[in-house]
Amino acid sequence: MIESKFDTSTFDPLIATVENIVGARWVRKRKAELQVFDSDGLPGYRKLPSLAVLPGSRDELIAVVRALALANVAFVARGAGTGLSGGALGENIVVVALNRLNRILSIDAENGLAHVEPGVVNVNLGKAAAPYGLQYAPDPSSQAACTIGGNVAENAGGPHCLKYGVTMNHVVALTVLLPNGELITLGSPHGEVDGYDLTGLFVGSEGCFGIAVDVWVRLVPLPQAIRTLLADFSSVDAAARAVSEIIATGILPAALEMMDNATIRAVEASIYAAGYPVDAAAVLLCEVDGLREGLETDVAAIERCCQNNGARTVRIATTDAERARLWQGRKKAFGAMGRIAPHLVVQDAVVPRTKLPAVLAAIHAISERWNVKVCNVFHAGDGNLHPNIAYDANDASEADRVEHAMREIMDACMEAGGTITGEHGVGLDKLPYMTKMFTENSLSMMCSVRDVFDPSRRSNPGKVVPMHSCREWHGVTTKAR
Amino acid sequence: MNASLTSTSDVSEALRNAKNSLRIVGSGNWLDAGRPVQADETINTSGLSGIVEYVAGDLTMTVRAGSTLAELDEAAAREGQWMGIDPVGSTSGTIGATVATASAGPLSHGIGRMRDIVLGVEVVAGNGDIVRSGGKVVKNVAGFDLTRLQVGAWGTLGVITEISLRLRARPEVDETICIALDSRKPLQAHLVALREIPLAALAVELIAPSLAKLLALGETHFLLARLGGNETLVRAQRAALSILGGTSTVEPTVWNSIRAFENNEFAVVRVSHLPSQLENSWIHAYNEVFSVMHAPCFMHSTISRGLVRVAIPKSTILSPDEHLAALTRIVSTIAPPGGHAVWEQLPAQLWKNLPSAVGDDLSTGLKRAFDPAGICNPGILGNSVPR
Repeated sequence: MIESKFDTSTFDPLIATVENIVGARWVRKRKAELQVFDSDGLPGYRKLPSLAVLPGSRDELIAVVRALALANVAFVARGAGTGLSGGALGENIVVVALNRLNRILSIDAENGLAHVEPGVVNVNLGKAAAPYGLQYAPDPSSQAACTIGGNVAENAGGPHCLKYGVTMNHVVALTVLLPNGELITLGSPHGEVDGYDLTGLFVGSEGCFGIAVDVWVRLVPLPQAIRTLLADFSSVDAAARAVSEIIATGILPAALEMMDNATIRAVEASIYAAGYPVDAAAVLLCEVDGLREGLETDVAAIERCCQNNGARTVRIATTDAERARLWQGRKKAFGAMGRIAPHLVVQDAVVPRTKLPAVLAAIHAISERWNVKVCNVFHAGDGNLHPNIAYDANDASEADRVEHAMREIMDACMEAGGTITGEHGVGLDKLPYMTKMFTENSLSMMCSVRDVFDPSRRSNPGKVVPMHSCREWHGVTTKAR
Repeated sequence: MNASLTSTSDVSEALRNAKNSLRIVGSGNWLDAGRPVQADETINTSGLSGIVEYVAGDLTMTVRAGSTLAELDEAAAREGQWMGIDPVGSTSGTIGATVATASAGPLSHGIGRMRDIVLGVEVVAGNGDIVRSGGKVVKNVAGFDLTRLQVGAWGTLGVITEISLRLRARPEVDETICIALDSRKPLQAHLVALREIPLAALAVELIAPSLAKLLALGETHFLLARLGGNETLVRAQRAALSILGGTSTVEPTVWNSIRAFENNEFAVVRVSHLPSQLENSWIHAYNEVFSVMHAPCFMHSTISRGLVRVAIPKSTILSPDEHLAALTRIVSTIAPPGGHAVWEQLPAQLWKNLPSAVGDDLSTGLKRAFDPAGICNPGILGNSVPR
């Protein structure tokens, strides 16, 4: 275990400074207290921070980051810690936890805008918007816990991003605290500005460019009507072909999700049982929403696409309860897999939609070769795969096979013209694949861009771009501002 | 020069060997737009044309930057698909320029702007390095989003050579209707009524009387709506809109006319504020122009964006000097209070009255990272101020 450098008296002055700012009860310094912050949603990465600070207001946050700048200490901003990339963690760093900055500052229903602090939980924003007939569309599976700040950092997606777009498409403007303590505004909530799209650049920067102090997001009308269908197939291939046919009709489903037999069985054996047919090779969960008029026509068209491709049955939810049950199985699929084995790894590659059948076949072959159990549950509509492998990390042989299988799965996705991550982010987990994905010049430019925001490289250091890809290393500036 | 550039490596070599600053040109449609560029040579990307990869089933397309919108529209249409963009100008413009200028048209209401549609880009940086970001799949968070940075950078961060785009399947029905808004009611009343109507339109554009006349619609405020989807949905939306006034079907070519009604004689500005402030922005812009030009300007608005595009023709009443003085005044007054004004087209000598769009420290740093020698379209977004 890494010894915390703050155990030495050298850093006592910093502890005293941050305690002065936030109060001693909001500074965590003992190992037992810090273990809460040592990993995110991916259990494979554990890094114990040296200190954790939980500012309770915008002013406290600014003062803390300025104190860290003055002391030339690295930090990692953290929301709910539900990330799946090994992103919001680190050693020899100070965790700046944003959970207490959880106020919805305003909802402007007329203009479809919400102004929120970074620690607002995704689902709470949705609840606050609903009375106005509005919704915050991005809906990562962890939405009951994850925060808007974390969603911004990761450019989070979710099942309904097929129709509504990802976080980037919904962020209008932000106030950003740069690692040097300077406060800047990106974008504008009051109309459109010229110049570089720094808002677009900041969203998805995984905490490497600074901390979003407040965020303006777009709210969109709640649909008048929602229809949810479940189709089951006797082959994965047939389900994938149905996906292609649905997309080609011009109907843009709100969500189009696929689960394979391994996932179906895991879900049905759990408390989240949703009534999926356990003998199906794959099920498609498809949702259309929008105006009431014409929706039945779209439902019928989608049903036809499923039947054209050999769906055994197509079930249409007739009540809200039935719809919720169909979705529960999907949303809790990861939880259900927890029953199979103590540990779980999940990938997040995206492949061109026409390559889904071939890539799924390749994944199946890889899992057979390495004798590991892969469950596929994913956003089929946009080709965003989530192969999960449940295993026992204490079994060295199994852990080794899992690692090999995962690497081969990623290679297969890249070879198919895909990308290594669609919504979870690079963090530490996908760092080794970045050099396969991008050329040296591209990675070097990403480093240079990070250096514009954080020349001292203190904000979530060591994530997203492999260090060796950065052309020059200026070293941490020792000069205080 | 540079007419023979046909590949990314040609562009890379040209930039690596460049001794002077360069004006980056596609079809040349945007040469009179933006601030004047202080460049000694031009680099022409029109030789970089053609589709690199188009798998219709993926609804994505990877193209070379010099491809014209017309050729891409045509290829997509053959598969029953479209890009869903209708930016200012003609379809002889290149996709590279469309991305670089972040041009958008009425379809941005329903489909999004360029930043929502571009999946990845290949760019040759000022020093000749080839930089790729994003990819060709519809969802991607691998690496920092340098793609968004290129959209609207007006070529100041390198030369865009290749672009991947998200396409859409064409809707089953695509119908354009117009509604003449009753002039006895204030504009705000119509806008409030519109907001209450449940719509899933592709475009909803407000047209000023002067422009409506030019488009041969009539001579009052008009609402143009483009409705897409299945027959039932389109019919229901049309019925819902009839609360605002009588609806009549219009030829879809009206959208092309809106894209290209003005010429180089016009000064053009986009003003914007919150959608709830649209009436203010609209009247403010009209009055500011009328008070000094003594003639109406041509305006249209993408209502949901709170954006009004104002085209000011060359004056037939004022002398050239008076016209310039009038424009000078408009430059300082046209932005709605609390909102923004972004100029598209303006006489060369007036740009110096506007602040740089990239004068802040971050933009300056990004410019330096991509184009250390400052040779790519220098000055087109204003000057970078050294830190």
